[in-house]
Formats: sequence, structure tokens, C-alpha cells
Amino acid sequence: MAQFEDQRTTVYKIDPEHPESATLPTLRTEELLLNMGPQHPSTHGVLKVVLELEGERLVKSTPVMGFLHRGVEKLAEEGTYHQFIPHTDRLDYVCAMYNNFAYCRAVEKLMNITVPDRAEYLRTIVAEIQRIIGHQFWLGTQALDIGAMTVFFYCFRDREILLDWFDELCGARLTTSWYRIGGVERDFTPSLFAKLRQFLDYFPPKIDEYVIFLEKNRIWLARTKGVAVISAEDALSFGLSGPTLRGSGVDYDLRKYEPYSAYPKCEFSVPVGKNGDTYDRYWIRVQELYESVKIIRQCLEQIQDGPIMADVPSVTLPPKERVFTNLESMIQQFKLFSQGFNAPPGEIYCGTEAHKGELGFYIVSTGGGKPYRLKIRAPSFIHMGAFDHMSRGYMIADAVTIFGTYDIVMGECDR
Amino acid sequence: MGLKPATNPDVEAATIELSIDGRTVAAKDGVSLYDVIASTGKIIPAMCYHYTFDPFGSCGMCLVMQEGKKAPVRSCTAKAASGMVVRTEGDDLFAARKKAVEKHLSVHPLDCPVCDADGHCELQDMAFQHGVTNLANAKQKFIPEDTRSLVLDFNMNRCIACAECINVCKDVLMIDALQFMKKGGFNQVVPKGDQPLACEFCGDCLAVCPVGAITNKYSKYLYKPWQMKKTTTTCNYCGDGCQMYLETKDTEVVRVTSPLSWKNKWGDRAETSKGHGGICVRGRFGFQYIDSEQRLRQPLVRQNDSLTETPWLDTMQTVIDRLSDIHRKHGPESIAGLITARCTNEELYLFQKLMRAGFRTNQLDSSARYGHLNYVHAVRHAVGIGRPLNDWEDLTKAKAVLVIGSNITETNPLTSVRIKEAIRVYKAQVIVVDSANTNIAQLASHPLLVKPGTEGLLIDGLVKSVIEQDLIDEPSTGRHPQAFAALKQALDQVSLEQVSARTGIAVEQIREAAAIFAEAPRAIALCAEGIVRRPNGYHNVLKLIDLAWITGKLGQPGCGVTTVTEEINEQGAVDMGVAPEFLPGQARFDDPIARERFGKAWDVTLPAIGSGANLLEILARIRSGQIKALYVIGENPVATLPASLEAKGTLEKLQLLIVQDPFLTETAEMAHIVLPAATYAEKDGTFTNLEGKVLRVRQALDQVGESLPDWHIMTALANGLGYEWHYESAQDVQDEIMKLLPGYYNLGQPRRITPSADAYLSNGYTTEVATRYRIQPTESSSEAARPFTLVTGQLLYHSGKLSTRASGLINIEPNSARLRMNPADLQRLGLNEQTTIRMTSPHGSVQLGVRIDPDVLPGCCFYPEHFNEPPVKDLMTVEVDSVTGVPYFKSTGVKIEKVGG
Amino acid sequence: MSVGAWTKKLLQAALFYEIWDAMKVTFKHMFHRPITFQYPREQRTIPDGHRGALGLLRYEDGRERCVGCDLCEAACPSRCIKVISHEDPERPLQRYAAEFYIDITKCVFCGYCVEACPVNALAMTKMYEYSTHDKRTLLFDKKRLYEIGERHLEDAKKYLYAHNQEKNSDESREYRYYFPQSVLKPTQSQPKHLS
Repeated sequence: MAQFEDQRTTVYKIDPEHPESATLPTLRTEELLLNMGPQHPSTHGVLKVVLELEGERLVKSTPVMGFLHRGVEKLAEEGTYHQFIPHTDRLDYVCAMYNNFAYCRAVEKLMNITVPDRAEYLRTIVAEIQRIIGHQFWLGTQALDIGAMTVFFYCFRDREILLDWFDELCGARLTTSWYRIGGVERDFTPSLFAKLRQFLDYFPPKIDEYVIFLEKNRIWLARTKGVAVISAEDALSFGLSGPTLRGSGVDYDLRKYEPYSAYPKCEFSVPVGKNGDTYDRYWIRVQELYESVKIIRQCLEQIQDGPIMADVPSVTLPPKERVFTNLESMIQQFKLFSQGFNAPPGEIYCGTEAHKGELGFYIVSTGGGKPYRLKIRAPSFIHMGAFDHMSRGYMIADAVTIFGTYDIVMGECDR
Repeated sequence: MGLKPATNPDVEAATIELSIDGRTVAAKDGVSLYDVIASTGKIIPAMCYHYTFDPFGSCGMCLVMQEGKKAPVRSCTAKAASGMVVRTEGDDLFAARKKAVEKHLSVHPLDCPVCDADGHCELQDMAFQHGVTNLANAKQKFIPEDTRSLVLDFNMNRCIACAECINVCKDVLMIDALQFMKKGGFNQVVPKGDQPLACEFCGDCLAVCPVGAITNKYSKYLYKPWQMKKTTTTCNYCGDGCQMYLETKDTEVVRVTSPLSWKNKWGDRAETSKGHGGICVRGRFGFQYIDSEQRLRQPLVRQNDSLTETPWLDTMQTVIDRLSDIHRKHGPESIAGLITARCTNEELYLFQKLMRAGFRTNQLDSSARYGHLNYVHAVRHAVGIGRPLNDWEDLTKAKAVLVIGSNITETNPLTSVRIKEAIRVYKAQVIVVDSANTNIAQLASHPLLVKPGTEGLLIDGLVKSVIEQDLIDEPSTGRHPQAFAALKQALDQVSLEQVSARTGIAVEQIREAAAIFAEAPRAIALCAEGIVRRPNGYHNVLKLIDLAWITGKLGQPGCGVTTVTEEINEQGAVDMGVAPEFLPGQARFDDPIARERFGKAWDVTLPAIGSGANLLEILARIRSGQIKALYVIGENPVATLPASLEAKGTLEKLQLLIVQDPFLTETAEMAHIVLPAATYAEKDGTFTNLEGKVLRVRQALDQVGESLPDWHIMTALANGLGYEWHYESAQDVQDEIMKLLPGYYNLGQPRRITPSADAYLSNGYTTEVATRYRIQPTESSSEAARPFTLVTGQLLYHSGKLSTRASGLINIEPNSARLRMNPADLQRLGLNEQTTIRMTSPHGSVQLGVRIDPDVLPGCCFYPEHFNEPPVKDLMTVEVDSVTGVPYFKSTGVKIEKVGG
Repeated sequence: MSVGAWTKKLLQAALFYEIWDAMKVTFKHMFHRPITFQYPREQRTIPDGHRGALGLLRYEDGRERCVGCDLCEAACPSRCIKVISHEDPERPLQRYAAEFYIDITKCVFCGYCVEACPVNALAMTKMYEYSTHDKRTLLFDKKRLYEIGERHLEDAKKYLYAHNQEKNSDESREYRYYFPQSVLKPTQSQPKHLS
């Protein structure tokens, strides 16, 4: 207190002999600390950000994470490799299929399994559908965050169609668990094929509709153009990936550069932005919707009949009808479910291009049926690291747009 | 060994060199090739192999390619020979092994879903490992299940005829209760003679069965292995302290499994000297009491003559109020305590601390008083070490074992397996001195069946005959000529003929036994209940030490005088100072240095020297009215002590009797306050076994009801009384013990000790040696009136009173209320198994049935001490050892007569 | 940029042309049928493969399919199943689930238990409306699970077909698991002690 008093007197001290030397009183200023979240509707889950504000400007923003931490990586150590698949559904819970896909690919790489052709096509189709769903979801919520409500409704309307399609495919709309280590759980039925074709015809005009609402909308442009700019070098050094990286003009897509599944057999282009701002990232995502449709069409043309599961008795489950009548298959079934397959000791990393960015699984195995350690490289988490850098100097109202631009989902971020 | 290659670690053979997968390996000539390969760290699949017995060669899995042979050979039955070139890997071998698995699978039923072994099945593992798929032409056997046996079911549909069960039973346990029999077109394992199983029920056959052919009746079809939580803990029945896995599901104990299993089949045969990993019937099937319905779940407080369930807080308040009231009014001498040796070391330590540092009384005792203290006092007196001098390895590798007064197969089954291994693998000579034809006597090379009560006398004969035959070890006796002269002089009173006449053993046999013991390079004398629980126990142990001394067996590696304990932690109770004469670490209570050390550590002045009281003194002081309050943990004096000690009447005199027990025992029924305690499965801690190993006890399940571990209750009580203890876990107590007794917790390893009697022999020996060789006059008058010797003792299937609460053991051995007698005696008295007899001793008589037991010697009768219905124990006369205060009440003379027609 | 284009742009900006453009799309939607529906009154059609509440099944002759092998418990990633099995007192060697619990509050509806079941005793149904005021009722016991199985038998069967667990009724009859007669080949005669 004494010190405070002292300060005041020095500030206002005027020498009576030389009144002209009196300076204007300098008021003490300090940054305003503002807690945004964790209960904020536009933080996409339970994220808290401590914003340091100078007036309306963001000086520093510190994401505080872990509100949705469920110890998923630790859970992986408790169960067999197979049992972890439903847990991956709950990472990025709006796009479960891609998580399943990335995880299964990692385990297949560890176990050195080749997936049959048909299964690869099915996987690619579903992964691209999931990409469409993911981008629709992003577009809808980002528009909603900025204030455009209609786009949100239209995106979610079309997303419903695909979710119902998932329901028919695997029995669940969101927590799909459809991918299996070595293949997929279930083949498409003729009705699923028909519905998918129908959707492919229906969908591209709808994308045009979304664009009408946004592309020329001056509010949208004002809120996205030149906002959250990140240079290519910075983006690379922050480890960004996916549309967030491509928006800055870096042409990097794992589907092209480390081709997997049926992607090498399909022709598609990877849209790349120039300015590295929110608008470019929006543009890339919209372009990817068209590309996804293209990929699915090609896959549907190329797909051949064949098995949907690899036949590796020590890893993959036997067909159910054999279990009933055949002792060896019964043993296989029991061993695989109660103890899991015996993974070779070693460690692998496998990255997959999910719609948010590179979703990687890093598995350390010391042999036996359970991973010794499993680490998830979640794009949302990596992207959050760049949040402070990208938000500096922007207005507080932009904070919401900047979260949105990465397409973060806290389930994946906190794990 | 026949055609089978020797895997005996003692095999004295030339060292040879052979090449395995391109590596040159050194091995002993003639040893099983499988063992040689396993020693290089390679594991070849095998289903019938186990390192504890000789290879059998039935599964056909352990195939290797030997250079010069066209077809793969079975490595287990092949002998390692010089210059062999062996290949253990390759596609051809994989295919051959796969074929062998397929052969087994083709006659295996499709019953994984119902099989208990599923998930812990070697056939499953092998089929999975070898990628067997889609096998055609599976055949079914349709053999009905054999459910006749008490604890095991035999489902021979699943059997792969590996013979592991038969081999472990015959070779390792020397029981030989199983055999192959051709039945219904298939070779099946059946109990000997296709009868219901009649054996020791140790269940080791169940443990080694690689498939689900032998199943545990108590856990059959309950859960699969993957559902259960497996806790490694220590069995709390006998002093062997076997390690075992308590398998639990939520709040129930499902089964107990042993480290012995087909799963760890690779090892060096020499490793078994530390135990083969098996457990006995009590450990494997006697777990049901842990989660039994009879467990106390709430504290009980006596109100208007009945015990009423009361919440913990109210109960503790009552306990604290009443105890502090008595303490204030009558002083510390008015409080005493008894504790069972089935508590952990930490609890025993806390108990004596509560008594000494809390109540400031030295009136405390444990159940080690019933016998083990005799041994401890004797060896402590003679060689300054208060624990058994030998461990299992010594026993296994001994060349001569003198088992004296110990039915070791029944009291300590796993220690007896060590002796069996000594007999079988190391070709030891075993002399058994007992008054019953025990199992170990039947296996021994020199069984000496003495008249009841004369085991001690036979030691006189052995000592005498060693001197007479001049088998003495000069270096040992030469160092203490005075002591040796005194011993010789004392032995003048003894004549071998007299010993022979009274024990019923021929002089020649005594001489032979003495010669065997004296001449063996490694000889161990093992004494147990027949010595330490019978009159003169203390002196008899000292006599054995004399025997070991003059034959040079004291202080030599692998030699010594040892004992076995009945309850798991009797040794720990002594080590923790739960006896009025000892402080923790076996420091004498009157030792001023130790008193100062512990006084400082506990921040108190210890109770005065001479104020202590042991079990019998406590009872006497209760009768005299000095002791007003008694704190009993787990002990049950009313059911244990004979009527002549008037335990019941004595305890009724107390103003406050607090009993802390998992069950409502006879003593607890009399109590003013009963506190529910947790069993060993519900708490952490350590036990000290008879080897001096400190073994971990781990919590396997939550405490039943509102019961609490003893240390927890004691800590709460101490804090309530204002002593400010800060223990939050058993680990905290352990930390304190570690500070006070550095080096005590050498978990798993017994401390190596070299006993030396030098101090004793040169100091005080001469004055007291004569007393122990004084011939006791025979009570000829009483012998005529009461011709039979009634002995109470332990059965294989029970341990103390605790095991009678385990339904698994009660199924095997219920209380038959029958006296076991020799058939000759029965015939002489005109009795049969239907008649009722009256048995009379100076203390009264009881009526009970009889049962033929040829192993009981004529002139003896045996009744298991576990059962009080009818109250046979009340017939016992009590003698008290003047040195150690041990009460002897395990044998007495009785008259037996027929009741009615 | 030409003057014309520039003028057009200015005009568009001045007249908020993009709003009219977007409004066109919006107004078009006025003539669409609504895509929402009134849930409790109107129900969604649920596909056959839908992973809803679990039920236990019986064979046509009324016998419980479940042999209490506990594999569902091992397969469950959320550890919500508890099976306590016993030997059937009337039929020796027959194992059955004496108690069967599914803690539906923990269940993640992944369907692994169905996939694991070696006798197809479990199946998922289209039932999803079981909200309650008392959370304790969400621990489905054996009785409740059999009730669900009976009430939704058709759905359960469709589920099994859809997920390749069972071929169809006729073929699945072969799969019946009656230990140890289950795999009796036509060439083998019934052993005496079983008849």
C-alpha cells in the first residue's frame, strides 16, 4: 500500500518553483486477462483459452487443455490391439471412421499385413465420405461461429444423409468402429452402393449452394480474408498439416506423398492456397469436397469383387461360421479375443491424411497382445500449438474464427 | 532312470561339446538334449515336458533335426552326446511340429467355450502359434466325466496324454496316485485302480495339466482365467510360506493357483531345491473362509448379555473409554494381550508396541508359545540364533536327514517335498523317529517307530551311540574338551539297552542311525511337534544340538538342527518381540542396551524387568484379579487350551475382554467387544517363514463387510488412547521396523547364518548338561490304569482352527468325531468302526467313535486337534516347561472302553 | 478491369447483390418438403445392422444359447459385461451363465461381444428407448437381456445376418452348440452314455 501511495505522489508531484516542468500524469496500464471457455459454445468442446488483451487486441493467448482428457493412450495399454478400435471412435468423435482407419493402418504396418484390394477400395470410399462429413461439419460450424446460420443448416442436412448411410453400413452414425485390423467389418450391400451413387449425383450442386452463401458475402470475406495468417515456414515449423498447412501454400498431402490404400489408383488434385489466411483454408476445404466426390466415383468404378479381410490366422478373426464347427477356428477366436495377437517387438509410426491433417499413431510393442505404449499424433493438438502465434494482434472477436480455422475437436486434442 | 536321459543336477558326467544351430554349447554327457537347448535360451515348444521330472516324450512337439538322421528326433528323450550337430529351427521342423499339434487337435473336443483351461491352455497356444486352421475329420471321444473325486474332476475328452500329472505325482511328490488306463478305447488318466482319488489332494496335477482335462471342482465353470485378478501372495497356513496366486473376481475368491504350472516348465532341476513352486491341499483348496458367510462384518458390543452390531465409531469409543478407565484405575499391570502368529510382521510389531509403549505393560504373548519358542530358546541359548538353522536348499541337498517327532508331510507338506527330493534326486538317507507310521516314515530309508513320548529319549541313545562308536568329530569336540568331558559324564547315566527297552528300538538300529547321521557329509536334524510340543521340549532340542555338535554338524554348510512351524508367522512373532522375554529383533527384554534403544525409539520408558507375563502367567494373573482387561487378536484360548487350564472360567473374570478376529470364535462369544478383523487376503504386509525368509502378503480384495486390517484397528485404538501413531499403511509400519531392525526385510532370501556354539560350550555348558540327560522315572502305575497314549495333532487337510472354516477342506476331511486307532488294538478291545467308546483320562471322559488307521501304532490313539467336538482336548493333562513356559498338552495317557453292547 | 465490369461490381456492391443471390437459394427451400420429423410421433426407420441395446437369444426350442464362456467379457473394450457361469445341475458338463450383467451405462455399443460370441447368443437390437429415472435399472441382468432378446428376436436375427454372424435360419441350425454332441458327424454314432 505504502508503495502504491508513493507512486501516486511521484506521478503527481509538481515542483512549485517550476510549474511548467510538470508532466502529464502517466496512468498505469496492464493487459486484461480474459478466460474464454471452458464452457464457451464456440470453443468446440471444453477448451479454455486465457487471452491477454490490450484493448480489443490479442497480445497473447494461452490454450489450457485437458478438460476432455480421458487417458485414451493409457487405455490402449490395457486392452488388446483389437479392443482399442472403439476407443479411437472417441478421439475425433465427429469423424470416427478416419481415426479407425489411421489406427488400423498403424497396426497393419506393425504386423506387416497386406489388406485385400476390395477392402482397400471400401476403406478409401468410406474415408472420403468421412472427409466430406468432416468438411461439412467444419463449414457449418465455422459459418455459425462467424454468424452465418443458414450454411450450418444446409451442411448438417447433407451430413445427415451420410450419417444415415453409415448407420446402415456399420450400425452406428458416429461411433462407427467399422474398420478392422486387416480389412473391414462388413461389405457394402447393393442398397448402400445405390444410395452412395445417388448421393454423389445429389451432392456437388449442394456444394455450389454453400458457396453462394459465403463466397461473395462481405461479412464472411471480412472475417476470413487476412485473418490468422501464417507463413509457409512458420506453418512447417509448427508442424501444421492438412488444409491448415496447404492454406499457406505448402503442397503436402500424405495421400499423394505417401500413397496408401486405393489413393494411388485414383486421380485427384490437392488444392493449395496462397495467402495462408482463414479464407484460403476455407477455399481448400470446399475444393476438397469436390475432389472427394471425384475419388469416390473413381473407386466405385474400379472396385472388384474379393475378400474384405486379410487371411492371416494369427491376427485376423476367422469367419464366424467356421467358429461353430471347427476347433482350430474356435481356438483362434478365443485366443484373439482373450489375449489378442502376438505383435513383434518394435516401434512404428504411421501417419494418415485425415481431413484435419496428419493423424498419426505411434506404437511401441514389446511383444504380446497389448501395446506397450501408444501415442497419438492428433492434428488438433498440434494445431493448437500455433494458436498463440496465429492470433497475436487480431481482435478478440477473431479468436473464435481462429479456433475454427484449424477445425479442432477437443476429443482428439485432449485424448 | 532307464532309457530316459538323466536330468539330475547331481549327475557326474563328462562335459561334452555339441553344436546347436551353429553354436557350440558345453553340456554334461547324457543329459536330455531339450535341457541343453533350453539352457541356451532357445525355447522349443513342448507339451509333456516339465523340468521338475524326467522327460517322458509323449507329445511329439520338441522335434529337432539331428545331423545324420533323416527324420526329426524328439529332443527331450534324446541324450546329449559329444559332437552332435542339432538344428532347432526351420520350415520343415515347423511343419513337423504343426503335424504333431494337428494330431492332438484331431481328437480334441470342440469345447473351448465351456472349458476352464481356455485362455490358459497349452494346446490352444500351440494350435494358434502353429497356425493350424481348418482341420478335417475331428474325432470325438465321448468319455463321461469322472466326478468321483473330492476336489478334482477328470474330463478325459480333453486329455492329450502328456502324462505330466502322473509324472509330477510320482516323481516329484512321490504320491503316485494317478495312472494310465485303457478304457473305452482310449488311454485315460485315472486315479490308481480306477477308484475315487485318495491322495494328498495337493492339486499339483491340476497345476501342470496343459489342457482342461483335470479341473478344480471348486472353481469349475465359474470364471475364465482372463476374468480373474491374480495376486501373488503368501499362504497363511503353515510355516512353509508358499508363494501362491490368489485369483479373485470382485469380492469373491475363486481359486488359488501355484507358481508350479505347465506355463513355467523351463528351468534347471537344481533350482527346485528352493521349492518346486507347488502348493498343498490347504493352500489350494482351503481359501473359502476368506469370503465366507461366517465372517464378522460389523463390530459387536455386549449389551444385556448379547452381542449387538454397533457402528465402528461407537464401538471404538466404548473400547477407548473402558480401556483408559481400567488403565487409570488399576495401572498398566491390569492390561494384557494375546495375538495369533497368523498376523503379519507389521501387525505383530504394532501389537507389542501398543502393549509396551502404549499401555506400558509387558504382559503379552503369541501362539508361538505353544511350541516354537522351545526351539527358539534352545538354539538361541546354544548358538545365539533364534531361528531355524537351515533352509529348504539345505534340506534338499542333505545327505542324511534325521526327522524326529515330525509328521512333516501333514504339518508342512512342502518342506516334506524337499525331503522327498533329497531322497529321490540326491539319494539322501532319511531317519524318521516318530510314534506313528507317518508318510515320511514310509518313504524313509530308516524309519524308527518309537513308543509314544520317547522321541526325546532316543536322542539320548543317538548321542550315546555316537560316543560309543567313536563317531565324534575331533575338531569340534577338541576345541571344548571340558564341555565334551561334561557331556560324556552326563551320558554315563544313559545306557543304550535302557533306551532301547523304553523306546522299543533295537540297539543296532540306534547305532546304525547314529552312524548315518554322523558320517554323512551334510546332515540335518529336523524336530517338530513331537519334540517341541511334548514335555522336555527345550532340553530335547538342546540334546539334538549336542548331537550335531559332537558329530561336527554345527556351523558346517548344509548341516544343522532345524524345525518347522505350524503357523505361518511363528518365527515372525518371535522376531517382532511378541513374547514377554523378547524385544523386537529377539533382543532380551532385560538387556539394558536394547531397552534403551527401543525406549528411545518409542519415546517411552519400557515396563519394568520382571513385570512380564506369558500365556499361562497371564491366565494366572487374571485369576488372581491383577489383570482386568485382555486384548485378544485372532487367538482362541477357550477352544485351544484344555479344560484343566480353565480358560473359559478365567476369561469370565475379566472386566473387559476385547476380541479382534475375522470370525466369531468361542472366545469371541464371551467377549465384551468383538472387532471384525480382515484376513491375510485383504491386507498388505509380510510373513517370516520357517526358513527366515520375509515374504510379501498382498491385498487381493477389499475388506469383507466393515472389517479392517489388524494394524488399522490397532492404530486407531492407539490414536484414540492418545498415543499419536501416524501409520497410514502397512508400509509405514514396515519403514519403522526397517529402521529399528536393519536388514530384516531381505525379501525372498533367508539370511545366511553360521551357527557357532563356542560361547555356550565354553561358558555354562558344563553346569547344565547333566540335567537334560537325567532319566525320567516311568510312571508305571498310571500306565497300567491308562494303557493308551492319546495324541492330538495336525492333519494334512487342516491347520489350526482356521481351516475348519474353509468348506473345501471340510469336504475333504470333515469332523468325523472318531478316534484313530490301530486295527490290532481295535481287535483286542473288540471294537469296530460302528462302536462307540468312552475315553477316560484323569480330567474326565468323552464318548466318541473309532476309525481304523493302520498308521497309528498299537498302544496309541490319535485325534485331530482341529476339532473340539467331542472335546477331546479337555482330557489332556498340562505340563509347563520350567525354562520356556511352554504348555504341553498334546499327549496323555487314557483308558479306552466300549460303551454299551 | 474494364469499365463495364467495374460498374457491374459497384452496382452489385451497392445493391447488396450477394444477398439477393443467397436469398434466391433460401426462398427456393420454402417449397421443399421439410426434412425434419416429429420424433416421438414419427419414428426413424432403423437399418438392420443398427447397434442398439443388447439382448440374449434362445434357440427355437427355448434353450438358452449362452454357454457362459465369458468371451464377451474378454472382448468388451469398456469392461461392462460380467458373466458368472455354472455347471447346469441337470445336465452335467453343460455350462451356462447363471448370472449375466451388462452395465448399459458403460456400454459403447461397439458390437464386439456379438462378434466374439462363439454361439451367437448375443445380438444387438433396434431398441434404443430405455431412458429411465433410476440409473440402477440400467444394469441389465440376465432376465432383462432375455426379455429384450425375445421381444426383438426378429431384429436380433437381422442384426446377425447383416453383420455376417449367421447365414440364415436353416444354416444356423447346424451351428447349434450342444456340448459335446455339437460336432457329431453323420458318420459317427451316438455314444451310449449320451443317449
